[in-house]
Amino acid sequence: MTSAHAKLGHVSEDGIKLLVDGFYAKVRRDPELAPIFLRAIPGDWGPHLNKMYAFWSSVMLTTGRYKGNPVIKHMAIPNIQPALFARWLELFNETSAELFDEAVSAEFQAKAARIAESLQLALFYRPDRPWPPLAAT
Amino acid sequence: MAAAGRDMTFVVTDNCIRCKYMDCVEVCPVDCFYEGDNMLVINPDECIDCGVCEPECPAEAIFPDTQPGLEDWVRLNGQYAAVWPNITIKRESPADAKAFDGVANKLEQYFSANPGQGD
Repeated sequence: MTSAHAKLGHVSEDGIKLLVDGFYAKVRRDPELAPIFLRAIPGDWGPHLNKMYAFWSSVMLTTGRYKGNPVIKHMAIPNIQPALFARWLELFNETSAELFDEAVSAEFQAKAARIAESLQLALFYRPDRPWPPLAAT
Repeated sequence: MAAAGRDMTFVVTDNCIRCKYMDCVEVCPVDCFYEGDNMLVINPDECIDCGVCEPECPAEAIFPDTQPGLEDWVRLNGQYAAVWPNITIKRESPADAKAFDGVANKLEQYFSANPGQGD
Protein backbone atom coordinates (compact mmCIF):
# COMPACT_ATOMS: atom_id res chain seq x y z
CA MET A 1 0.00 0.00 0.00
CA THR A 2 1.40 3.35 -0.94
CA SER A 3 -1.56 5.66 -0.44
CA ALA A 4 -0.53 9.19 0.57
CA HIS A 5 -1.56 8.93 4.21
CA ALA A 6 0.42 5.74 4.71
CA LYS A 7 3.73 7.34 3.74
CA LEU A 8 6.39 7.73 6.38
CA GLY A 9 6.95 11.29 7.56
CA HIS A 10 10.27 10.81 9.34
CA VAL A 11 13.50 8.86 9.00
CA SER A 12 13.92 5.83 11.26
CA GLU A 13 15.94 2.61 11.26
CA ASP A 14 12.74 0.73 10.35
CA GLY A 15 12.04 3.09 7.46
CA ILE A 16 15.60 2.70 6.21
CA LYS A 17 15.24 -1.08 6.29
CA LEU A 18 12.04 -0.89 4.22
CA LEU A 19 13.73 1.45 1.74
CA VAL A 20 16.83 -0.70 1.33
CA ASP A 21 14.83 -3.94 1.02
CA GLY A 22 12.42 -2.40 -1.49
CA PHE A 23 15.19 -0.80 -3.49
CA TYR A 24 17.32 -3.93 -3.81
CA ALA A 25 14.26 -5.99 -4.72
CA LYS A 26 13.88 -3.63 -7.69
CA VAL A 27 17.60 -3.79 -8.46
CA ARG A 28 17.48 -7.55 -8.65
CA ARG A 29 14.66 -7.38 -11.19
CA ASP A 30 16.24 -4.62 -13.26
CA PRO A 31 17.70 -5.65 -16.63
CA GLU A 32 20.51 -3.07 -16.42
CA LEU A 33 21.51 -3.35 -12.77
CA ALA A 34 20.76 -6.97 -11.91
CA PRO A 35 23.72 -8.46 -13.83
CA ILE A 36 26.17 -6.04 -12.17
CA PHE A 37 24.87 -6.63 -8.67
CA LEU A 38 24.41 -10.38 -9.03
CA ARG A 39 28.00 -10.68 -10.19
CA ALA A 40 29.23 -8.58 -7.26
CA ILE A 41 27.00 -10.44 -4.77
CA PRO A 42 26.59 -13.95 -6.11
CA GLY A 43 25.39 -15.60 -2.91
CA ASP A 44 23.67 -14.47 0.26
CA TRP A 45 22.42 -10.87 0.11
CA GLY A 46 22.04 -10.65 3.90
CA PRO A 47 25.47 -9.11 4.59
CA HIS A 48 25.07 -6.55 1.78
CA LEU A 49 21.63 -5.50 3.00
CA ASN A 50 22.90 -5.18 6.56
CA LYS A 51 25.76 -3.02 5.31
CA MET A 52 23.30 -0.81 3.40
CA TYR A 53 21.03 -0.41 6.46
CA ALA A 54 24.11 0.74 8.35
CA PHE A 55 25.21 3.03 5.51
CA TRP A 56 21.89 4.86 5.26
CA SER A 57 21.60 4.96 9.02
CA SER A 58 24.99 6.72 9.12
CA VAL A 59 24.03 9.14 6.37
CA MET A 60 20.47 9.97 7.46
CA LEU A 61 20.60 9.48 11.22
CA THR A 62 24.34 10.20 11.78
CA THR A 63 24.71 7.01 13.82
CA GLY A 64 28.20 6.21 12.54
CA ARG A 65 27.07 2.58 12.11
CA TYR A 66 28.64 2.14 8.68
CA LYS A 67 32.38 2.16 8.28
CA GLY A 68 33.84 1.43 4.87
CA ASN A 69 35.39 2.70 1.68
CA PRO A 70 32.73 2.77 -1.04
CA VAL A 71 35.06 4.36 -3.60
CA ILE A 72 37.37 1.32 -3.56
CA LYS A 73 34.39 -1.07 -3.64
CA HIS A 74 32.99 0.60 -6.75
CA MET A 75 36.38 0.71 -8.45
CA ALA A 76 36.51 -3.06 -8.22
CA ILE A 77 33.36 -3.48 -10.34
CA PRO A 78 34.17 -4.42 -13.95
CA ASN A 79 32.53 -2.29 -16.64
CA ILE A 80 31.09 0.20 -14.22
CA GLN A 81 29.76 3.24 -16.10
CA PRO A 82 27.85 6.48 -15.49
CA ALA A 83 24.59 5.16 -17.01
CA LEU A 84 24.42 2.58 -14.24
CA PHE A 85 24.53 5.33 -11.62
CA ALA A 86 21.68 7.12 -13.41
CA ARG A 87 19.59 3.95 -13.40
CA TRP A 88 20.48 3.30 -9.75
CA LEU A 89 19.23 6.78 -8.86
CA GLU A 90 16.01 6.29 -10.84
CA LEU A 91 15.15 3.17 -8.87
CA PHE A 92 16.24 4.69 -5.58
CA ASN A 93 14.13 7.79 -6.16
CA GLU A 94 11.16 5.65 -7.15
CA THR A 95 11.45 3.52 -4.00
CA SER A 96 11.92 6.46 -1.64
CA ALA A 97 8.93 8.29 -3.15
CA GLU A 98 6.77 5.21 -2.65
CA LEU A 99 7.72 4.89 1.01
CA PHE A 100 8.24 8.38 2.38
CA ASP A 101 6.36 11.63 2.15
CA GLU A 102 7.67 14.31 -0.17
CA ALA A 103 9.95 16.09 2.31
CA VAL A 104 11.62 12.94 3.61
CA SER A 105 12.00 11.30 0.22
CA ALA A 106 13.56 14.55 -1.04
CA GLU A 107 16.15 14.31 1.75
CA PHE A 108 17.05 10.76 0.78
CA GLN A 109 17.18 11.65 -2.89
CA ALA A 110 19.40 14.68 -2.32
CA LYS A 111 21.90 12.59 -0.36
CA ALA A 112 21.82 9.79 -2.92
CA ALA A 113 22.40 12.21 -5.80
CA ARG A 114 25.39 13.84 -4.10
CA ILE A 115 26.97 10.56 -3.15
CA ALA A 116 26.42 9.22 -6.67
CA GLU A 117 28.03 12.33 -8.15
CA SER A 118 30.97 12.05 -5.78
CA LEU A 119 31.51 8.36 -6.55
CA GLN A 120 31.31 9.05 -10.27
CA LEU A 121 33.89 11.84 -10.01
CA ALA A 122 36.18 9.49 -8.14
CA LEU A 123 35.68 6.76 -10.73
CA PHE A 124 35.40 8.56 -14.04
CA TYR A 125 36.74 12.10 -13.84
CA ARG A 126 39.83 12.84 -15.91
CA PRO A 127 41.31 16.34 -15.93
CA ASP A 128 41.61 16.30 -19.72
CA ARG A 129 38.00 15.35 -20.43
CA PRO A 130 34.72 17.21 -20.05
CA TRP A 131 32.56 16.69 -16.96
CA PRO A 132 29.90 15.40 -16.80
CA PRO A 133 30.94 12.74 -19.31
CA LEU A 134 29.00 12.74 -22.55
CA ALA A 135 26.39 10.01 -22.59
CA ALA A 136 27.50 7.02 -24.63
CA THR A 137 25.35 6.61 -27.71
CA MET B 1 45.65 11.94 -6.11
CA ALA B 2 42.68 10.92 -8.19
CA ALA B 3 40.55 13.58 -9.81
CA ALA B 4 42.56 16.47 -8.38
CA GLY B 5 40.38 19.51 -8.04
CA ARG B 6 37.23 17.71 -9.05
CA ASP B 7 36.46 15.48 -6.12
CA MET B 8 33.16 16.59 -4.75
CA THR B 9 34.13 16.78 -1.16
CA PHE B 10 33.86 18.56 2.12
CA VAL B 11 36.85 20.41 3.53
CA VAL B 12 38.02 21.34 7.00
CA THR B 13 38.92 25.02 7.32
CA ASP B 14 40.55 27.60 9.57
CA ASN B 15 38.40 27.36 12.67
CA CYS B 16 39.37 23.73 13.27
CA ILE B 17 42.91 24.81 14.11
CA ARG B 18 43.54 24.47 17.86
CA CYS B 19 39.86 23.59 18.42
CA LYS B 20 39.99 20.05 17.02
CA TYR B 21 36.77 18.90 18.64
CA MET B 22 36.76 15.65 16.58
CA ASP B 23 32.98 15.12 16.63
CA CYS B 24 33.20 14.68 12.85
CA VAL B 25 35.30 11.51 12.99
CA GLU B 26 32.64 9.55 14.85
CA VAL B 27 29.90 10.19 12.29
CA CYS B 28 31.91 9.92 9.07
CA PRO B 29 30.75 6.76 7.28
CA VAL B 30 33.92 6.44 5.25
CA ASP B 31 36.58 7.25 7.87
CA CYS B 32 38.14 9.97 5.77
CA PHE B 33 39.48 12.27 8.50
CA TYR B 34 43.23 12.60 9.08
CA GLU B 35 44.78 14.10 12.16
CA GLY B 36 47.40 16.80 12.38
CA ASP B 37 48.96 18.14 15.53
CA ASN B 38 46.26 20.79 15.93
CA MET B 39 43.65 20.27 13.22
CA LEU B 40 41.94 17.59 11.15
CA VAL B 41 41.63 17.34 7.38
CA ILE B 42 39.41 15.37 4.99
CA ASN B 43 40.86 13.11 2.33
CA PRO B 44 39.14 14.31 -0.85
CA ASP B 45 39.69 10.95 -2.54
CA GLU B 46 37.74 9.13 0.15
CA CYS B 47 35.02 11.67 1.01
CA ILE B 48 31.71 10.75 -0.63
CA ASP B 49 30.15 14.16 -0.08
CA CYS B 50 27.42 12.81 2.20
CA GLY B 51 27.56 15.98 4.31
CA VAL B 52 27.06 14.20 7.62
CA CYS B 53 30.08 15.88 9.23
CA GLU B 54 29.17 19.47 8.41
CA PRO B 55 26.50 20.08 11.07
CA GLU B 56 28.38 17.94 13.62
CA CYS B 57 31.32 20.35 13.80
CA PRO B 58 30.94 22.52 16.92
CA ALA B 59 33.42 25.00 15.41
CA GLU B 60 31.50 25.16 12.11
CA ALA B 61 34.77 24.60 10.29
CA ILE B 62 33.55 22.12 7.65
CA PHE B 63 32.22 23.30 4.28
CA PRO B 64 31.42 21.80 0.87
CA ASP B 65 34.17 22.51 -1.66
CA THR B 66 31.56 23.98 -3.96
CA GLN B 67 31.60 27.06 -1.76
CA PRO B 68 33.73 29.76 -3.43
CA GLY B 69 37.06 30.79 -1.96
CA LEU B 70 38.02 27.46 -0.44
CA GLU B 71 40.58 26.42 -3.07
CA ASP B 72 43.54 26.77 -0.70
CA TRP B 73 41.75 24.71 1.93
CA VAL B 74 40.90 22.01 -0.61
CA ARG B 75 44.60 21.81 -1.47
CA LEU B 76 45.67 21.79 2.19
CA ASN B 77 43.19 19.02 3.03
CA GLY B 78 44.42 16.85 0.17
CA GLN B 79 48.08 17.52 0.89
CA TYR B 80 47.99 16.65 4.58
CA ALA B 81 45.47 13.79 4.30
CA ALA B 82 48.23 12.04 2.37
CA VAL B 83 50.74 12.28 5.23
CA TRP B 84 48.81 12.54 8.52
CA PRO B 85 47.40 9.45 10.30
CA ASN B 86 43.77 8.39 9.97
CA ILE B 87 41.48 9.19 12.90
CA THR B 88 38.13 7.49 13.49
CA ILE B 89 37.81 7.67 17.27
CA LYS B 90 37.17 10.95 19.04
CA ARG B 91 39.43 11.89 21.92
CA GLU B 92 39.40 14.78 24.39
CA SER B 93 39.66 18.10 22.53
CA PRO B 94 42.44 20.51 23.61
CA ALA B 95 41.84 22.08 27.02
CA ASP B 96 41.94 25.56 25.48
CA ALA B 97 39.77 24.67 22.47
CA LYS B 98 36.97 27.01 23.51
CA ALA B 99 39.35 29.96 23.79
CA PHE B 100 40.44 29.46 20.16
CA ASP B 101 36.96 28.90 18.76
CA GLY B 102 36.26 31.85 16.49
CA VAL B 103 39.75 33.39 16.51
CA ALA B 104 40.53 34.80 13.04
CA ASN B 105 43.38 33.76 10.71
CA LYS B 106 44.51 30.75 12.69
CA LEU B 107 46.28 29.24 9.69
CA GLU B 108 48.99 31.90 9.67
CA GLN B 109 49.38 32.06 13.42
CA TYR B 110 48.94 28.54 14.68
CA PHE B 111 48.87 25.88 11.95
CA SER B 112 51.19 22.96 12.59
CA ALA B 113 52.24 20.64 9.78
CA ASN B 114 53.19 17.95 12.29
CA PRO B 115 51.09 14.79 12.31
CA GLY B 116 48.70 14.04 15.16
CA GLN B 117 48.63 10.73 17.00
CA GLY B 118 45.77 9.15 15.00
CA ASP B 119 43.76 6.21 16.34
